[in-house]
Amino acid sequence: MNFRTMQAANRRKTFGLLIGMGALMWVVVYAALSYFGGTGAGIVPIAVCISLVSVWGAYYGSDKLVLTMTGAKLIQESDNPRLFDLIQEITIASGLPMPKVAVVIDDAPNAFATGRNPEHALIAFTTGILDAMDRDQLQGVIAHELAHVANRDTLVSAVAATTAGAIAIVSDILGRMMFFGGRRDRDSNANPVALILSLLILILAPLAAMMLKSAISRKRESLADATAVSFTRNPAGLRSALEVLAADSTVVRQRSTAVAHIWIESPLDAKSVSKMFSTHPPIQERIAVLKSMESLS
Amino acid sequence: MEIIIGLAAVALIAIFFISQYNRLIRLNITVDEAWAQIEVQLKRRADLIPNLVETVKGYATHEQSTFDAVVTARAKATTATTVADTAAADGMLTQALRGLLAVAEAYPDLKASTNFLSLQEELATTENKVAFSRQFYNDNVRNLNTAVKTIPSSFFAGFAKVSEREFYEVEDPQDRNAPNVKF
Repeated sequence: MNFRTMQAANRRKTFGLLIGMGALMWVVVYAALSYFGGTGAGIVPIAVCISLVSVWGAYYGSDKLVLTMTGAKLIQESDNPRLFDLIQEITIASGLPMPKVAVVIDDAPNAFATGRNPEHALIAFTTGILDAMDRDQLQGVIAHELAHVANRDTLVSAVAATTAGAIAIVSDILGRMMFFGGRRDRDSNANPVALILSLLILILAPLAAMMLKSAISRKRESLADATAVSFTRNPAGLRSALEVLAADSTVVRQRSTAVAHIWIESPLDAKSVSKMFSTHPPIQERIAVLKSMESLS
Repeated sequence: MEIIIGLAAVALIAIFFISQYNRLIRLNITVDEAWAQIEVQLKRRADLIPNLVETVKGYATHEQSTFDAVVTARAKATTATTVADTAAADGMLTQALRGLLAVAEAYPDLKASTNFLSLQEELATTENKVAFSRQFYNDNVRNLNTAVKTIPSSFFAGFAKVSEREFYEVEDPQDRNAPNVKF
């Protein structure tokens, strides 16, 4: 597979997963309606509103918010001319505007990108990654981060987080209502099988939403790897950078798990329950894909 | 009712025409911008060369032919105007610079000098920027030419006065797959 077919495949899969998320929301609404009738219908818009406000506030100010959440400090060209050279190279290759650049003082090698659009993009590197990597490897990492910017991944993850959040809130509220006997307002001759089914849906939906959200995040990571290669035409650089990350066992001192998905290498994977909930594809799999691209050129 | 349907159909067709037309214009402008970027990066490289040649000259005095090759190639590169001429001169200059750096390898004192070390990073990033601006230009030419040749956008190419553009081809097989300069 070359990077163009990979980009197309990952875009298609993200689209499919987002549709899946929408369908899940619809199923939850249906379950809420059949179990609670009118009361259930009232909950849904409230949940969507809460989720929208909380997620989209964070999305709009993502470049500033993430700075405080990760403890990253903005730097100028004079602070690290070589890093700025490398970033300028990729902005030329991608046609993106120059992003803001920040550094996190942390020995664990890692990097991330955020910002609501390319004009408000921010990319950050730990001091660990800047020390550990050579020119080609760092170029691969920068290309991966700017690929997230080009693919508007802050927006994609905001959409995913909003839906997952709304589903979680609906299930939570309805779960409490069930506990306190909220069904009293309905006649009791409803189909018991349908009731148990909607109950199950309400319990399982938040889990399914989490899994879909993680799956979307994983697809966006693969897409960013492919897009990075389209910028540098040098899969070997990113591949050897990922090998450095895979060999390193130190983990970024996280201030918040809420921003785990934005790093190039997941800071949580060691703790992750299973592959289904992981925000990143296994690093060895990413290395293998890049290797297959190398053999093409 | 018929009037509404008729109006809607006209509106849809108008939107289709406008979007096709605008897409071609946008692609054409992006190619212009990409071309401007190549010129900026080539200029940057040309400005860097006198300093580099002076530094190497200070240590390697017996390499006059190599210096001449670089200076001639630079002069050609700064006067070229068409896409083909610029690309040819660019390829020559890239070759000449490679020769100059190969010469530098033979002089340990030169390689260790701080002036040369800072020039090396400068030259590495400049070569990459030149290579990436070529790549970005060619990608955009590819998009434009595809749009000019494929249906339905091909129907609007004449109307938008947009035609196929020339690729920027450097006469050096090494450049095509390796934008990274190694020292």
